[in-house]
Amino acid sequence: MKLLVADDSRLIRGIIDKSVTSMGFEAIQVENGKDAWNLLNTKGEDINMVLLDWNMPFLNGIDVLRNMRSDDRFNHIPVLMISTESEDDRIREALTIGAQGYLPKPFTSEKLIGAIHTVLDQAKNK
Amino acid sequence: MNKILGINCSPKVETAVSELIDGKGHIEYERFHDGIVLDGYHMIILEIGRKQEQVIQQIRKLRYASNFQNIPIVLIHGQKKDFSSQPYMIAGATEILSLHDPSAACRQILNGHLIPGREPLEEEFDYLNPFIKNTCHILQTMASVDVEFKEVYFSNTIRIFGDVSGIMGLTGNAEGTLVVTFFWDLAKFIVAKMMGMEEEHVDAELIHDGVSEFINMISGSTKREFVGKPYHFEISLPSVVVGPGHQIGHFQDTSVAVLIFQVKNQCFALHICINPKANHANIRLSAG
Repeated sequence: MKLLVADDSRLIRGIIDKSVTSMGFEAIQVENGKDAWNLLNTKGEDINMVLLDWNMPFLNGIDVLRNMRSDDRFNHIPVLMISTESEDDRIREALTIGAQGYLPKPFTSEKLIGAIHTVLDQAKNK
Repeated sequence: MNKILGINCSPKVETAVSELIDGKGHIEYERFHDGIVLDGYHMIILEIGRKQEQVIQQIRKLRYASNFQNIPIVLIHGQKKDFSSQPYMIAGATEILSLHDPSAACRQILNGHLIPGREPLEEEFDYLNPFIKNTCHILQTMASVDVEFKEVYFSNTIRIFGDVSGIMGLTGNAEGTLVVTFFWDLAKFIVAKMMGMEEEHVDAELIHDGVSEFINMISGSTKREFVGKPYHFEISLPSVVVGPGHQIGHFQDTSVAVLIFQVKNQCFALHICINPKANHANIRLSAG
């Protein structure tokens, strides 16, 4: 199982990588939305799930999500948004556009693993 | 009673300082040494020796020892002219006086620096408390470290000295700046804890990144609590300033709240400069 992790913070990518690896999955890291979108376009068929930060340089996570949901090639890939933007209307916006889950920062490793499981289970049962 | 520490003062300067303070404070004297403790002092007076670089190093060490407290460091020298104050001010000095300056002016300047920063009004805790709570929560959640909120003071003239600062510009209903400032060792310790790795494996880039993410999380998690309130703001991407002994200033005459937190025996500072736009302030006042 390969998870694409897009966050401009190396620290957050490192923390997510540890949790994802502990689940037996592989994390492919990119540091902005543009790289996430480029990677999806070149290796999208290998990606099982996408973890997106909201605020990133070049292309926001929410814009990557929008692009994915309007593209048949990636419309099925489950997305977990991970962001400091934690107001209700932000969460609603992301879920309305098509994220399957929303995890506000700060988070514990347990919460992250729980959120990834929930999103993957949801996608499986769809 | 104000407590004043005179460092490296000659008998001539001691006499001059005693006359200038004139009973408005209790003065203690000692020679400069590493590990100097400044807790409880309201002003430092340092006589400038002949070796400029040595004095600059001493000022920097005093800034570290002040642990983000707004303790004025006043330098005194005996030269009549051709004195360049800039290197000392950049290092962290607050004021430079000459023994040849008029004593009335010196007295007024020293007394001015002894006026303490004001404490927050009760209603100001409405917006300070969410920052305090979230700062502690973030470090407990992401780094599993216990954080103690030590104190808060307001200043219109604050210059915070540190090694690494994360800066977030605030826009929207309320505008301003949030800055978190660390000394290097504590930043490194916290980042190592967040990453679950040994400190020796934490590089400068990771510290830069960690401080950036920390101010991002403080801003993001706190703005959620201000929804529908005058202090609600929007955030963008944070910036980071790195450099030993750098200083962060704010607009002149803008009131900045400086919150000091302690992790183990080290401190870091969060400075909050936030101004609700006028119409929102009016709404708040009329509702209050």
